[in-house]
Amino acid sequence: MSSVSVEEIERIVAAALSGDPQAETRMLVALRPGVLAVLRFGAFNRWIDPEDLTQETLHIVVERVRARTIDDPRKVFAFAAATARNLALNAARKMLRQQTVVDSGLIDELAQNLEMEQGELSDSDDRQLAQAVADLIDELPTERDRQVIIRFYLDAADKHELCRELGLSPKHFDRVLMRARSRLRTIIERRAPHLALFPRITAILFPLALSFTFWVRHFGPW
Amino acid sequence: MKSLDHESLEEQTRLVPRYVAGDLSRSERAEFEAWLIASPELAAEVEMERRLRRGIASAARRGWLKRGATPATIGRDRRWRVALAASLVLALTTLGLSLGLPHPGNNPASATTEPREPRQRSASRTVRLASVRGVATLPDIAFTQADAPAKLVLEPDVVVLTCEDGSMALECPGGAVPYTPQYPEYELALVKHGDSSLAWRSERQAPVSRNQLSFELRDPGALEVGDYDLIVRGHSPEHEEVVARYLLRVAAQ
Repeated sequence: MSSVSVEEIERIVAAALSGDPQAETRMLVALRPGVLAVLRFGAFNRWIDPEDLTQETLHIVVERVRARTIDDPRKVFAFAAATARNLALNAARKMLRQQTVVDSGLIDELAQNLEMEQGELSDSDDRQLAQAVADLIDELPTERDRQVIIRFYLDAADKHELCRELGLSPKHFDRVLMRARSRLRTIIERRAPHLALFPRITAILFPLALSFTFWVRHFGPW
Repeated sequence: MKSLDHESLEEQTRLVPRYVAGDLSRSERAEFEAWLIASPELAAEVEMERRLRRGIASAARRGWLKRGATPATIGRDRRWRVALAASLVLALTTLGLSLGLPHPGNNPASATTEPREPRQRSASRTVRLASVRGVATLPDIAFTQADAPAKLVLEPDVVVLTCEDGSMALECPGGAVPYTPQYPEYELALVKHGDSSLAWRSERQAPVSRNQLSFELRDPGALEVGDYDLIVRGHSPEHEEVVARYLLRVAAQ
């Protein structure tokens, strides 16, 4: 996981907005995990290829930054998120339209794609994750915290009802969940680091390539 | 996105479970996703939230989660549980000795017990079934009677999430994503080709984490050789429907 802070990313984007070409490359590197996250975690994630759409989103963002129609880094973040979301919605619509076509080849392809999407974790990864979560729950300091996690996630119990029943404030409830996530990250980073969020090599190479293409196309006579 | 201060980030971090569950309104989601772009830290929180949800569902399926009593009853029940456990251990030990079984302490294999699963777990096979299957005649699952696992865990991805009013849409009113399972309960049946006899039917179950189903078929090697339809049905008080059909093949060799 990138360790760049929010403030640092804001500075990088501000520099890119001022026309600094080096900052533009750094901006693409810095924004990529977030764009990928929006696509991977967003509403339409099961119908899209997040890697492809990340590329497309960053392409649109960098065009917009170059056009100087945005003046505030925060607006760049909002624009990138909205662009990613819209591209995902369009891709999902297209996918769902295609699903109504009676075409055996296409259905096979869809089935394969869905299978791939589901196979995000192998059986052994799934087992490791389950073990990590079971250990995490065992390690929680109080029975009440265990109840919070199990009933909220497994029984889909309502947060406010659970708080009332267990005598917790909503803030305390949020803290239990945050601590659980943080502890889970520690456990899986130790036991199965590949299950934690890692930037792939493409996360570095792609923005460099994209930036290079732009500079050549716009400013670099061959 | 108003400001990028630490307090606002914390506020967004509290929204992580609702974001992953698809419970944010359109404007909340737009704000949250702008933050996701700006903060790798928040993206990591979302990733962990998803892992936590999946891990809990998976641990529950494997029977690794103990559902404890409510805090008020814990102290009250503890003495009874200790007494019951001690009696059970004593009874089992006595039974083992009287039947002339080797003492567990003398058996090196039993000294290395695994904490969460019985030893036959390697004989379990989990199959995830996509919601759309090909039209080809190839089976989705195939095994021979000899190499059949002791337990076949079937996880069909068939739960369609709908809006609160039961409608199916990509986006519900207010910008929320669909999050209500179409049917409150699902069951899986195994029907033999040819004579259409029912070979097995699961208990009905409610989806875990909204859309995850897991059916356990014990000793699938005992099934007769042949092809079977794996039929998943959704049940509501008023209605039932076949929501997916797969093909399972049991071969002799």
